[in-house]
Amino acid sequence: MRSLAVWFTLVILGIGLLFTAVTIPFGSPAMSDMDDYFIAHGQEQTGANNIVTSIVFDFRGFDTIGEASVLFTAVFGVSVLFRVRKKEEDYEYE
Amino acid sequence: MIAIIHILVLIGIIITAAFIVWQKNLIAAAIAFAAFSFLLSIEFYILQAPDVAIAEAAVGAGVSTAIFLIAIWATHDQEAA
Amino acid sequence: MSDCMSKLVRTTADVMFLFITVFGFYIVLHGHLTPGGGFQGGAIVAGGFILLIVANRLEDFLKWFQKRSFQSCEVSGLVLFIGTALAAIPLGYIFFKNFLNGAGGLFGQAVPFGINSGILNTAGTIPIMNIAVGIEVLGGLSIIVLYMTSGIRSHEEGE
Repeated sequence: MRSLAVWFTLVILGIGLLFTAVTIPFGSPAMSDMDDYFIAHGQEQTGANNIVTSIVFDFRGFDTIGEASVLFTAVFGVSVLFRVRKKEEDYEYE
Repeated sequence: MIAIIHILVLIGIIITAAFIVWQKNLIAAAIAFAAFSFLLSIEFYILQAPDVAIAEAAVGAGVSTAIFLIAIWATHDQEAA
Repeated sequence: MSDCMSKLVRTTADVMFLFITVFGFYIVLHGHLTPGGGFQGGAIVAGGFILLIVANRLEDFLKWFQKRSFQSCEVSGLVLFIGTALAAIPLGYIFFKNFLNGAGGLFGQAVPFGINSGILNTAGTIPIMNIAVGIEVLGGLSIIVLYMTSGIRSHEEGE
């Protein structure tokens, strides 16, 4: 009974995802005004040949500040979790 | 020609993903994950996103495999049955 | 790792480290001309350091590179990135303004629009931010694996 429910859910999910993937046209976004502006004026306004870098580091610089802060916070968390303990310091893992 | 390579890469992605799930030996699963990331980066390159391909190849196949291997080495290398 | 690998693996890792590092810094420095950028190049260089950590003994690696140098790499990269973004405000522009582009100085050469051969000395503050993010990602990803390895070591020795 339980495996039947699992297979039923899987089949319904698969049909739904396949239907969505087939009906949505690939490679033609609904609104492309911003993309066209970046492609047309990106090199002129930033001087960089690589449009992706000009978007990441100039037009959308706030996102890159957030990404750098996220990486810094991740390293901070790892350094707290895996810190080197002293011999006499007792600790419990359970 | 590029369509054949594209279909082969997609088949390889599905095979390696199934291998990762079915494999009980965790070290083999981690190495298969590296192969999966490499095939995924080739797929990104075929879809004309070389930035994402470089990031996937460096982080997915290089750094995360090392992190998985160190974590497996600190615990046990067999999945609990 | 506690027990070091065979001499073949160690020698191959030591030789490949140089080429991986050079390729990563190439990707960082040419981020505004070719695909890639700060994060991708920094991850590649960190992959070279991680190869050294995994192949060699931890004590040998800590003899060559110190933990403090990776920490200072990460912190200085973040400070350089935010400082470059903030440096536009005292000069009278808005935050994140690309004030070096076309100014004629550092990274300020005028770029011919359209298809060109790719001049390295262009794009204003974008290469500086690329280098800053590259240094930060280098230090961050390396210090994560270094902390994991050394923390596991101290835990096993403590028991």
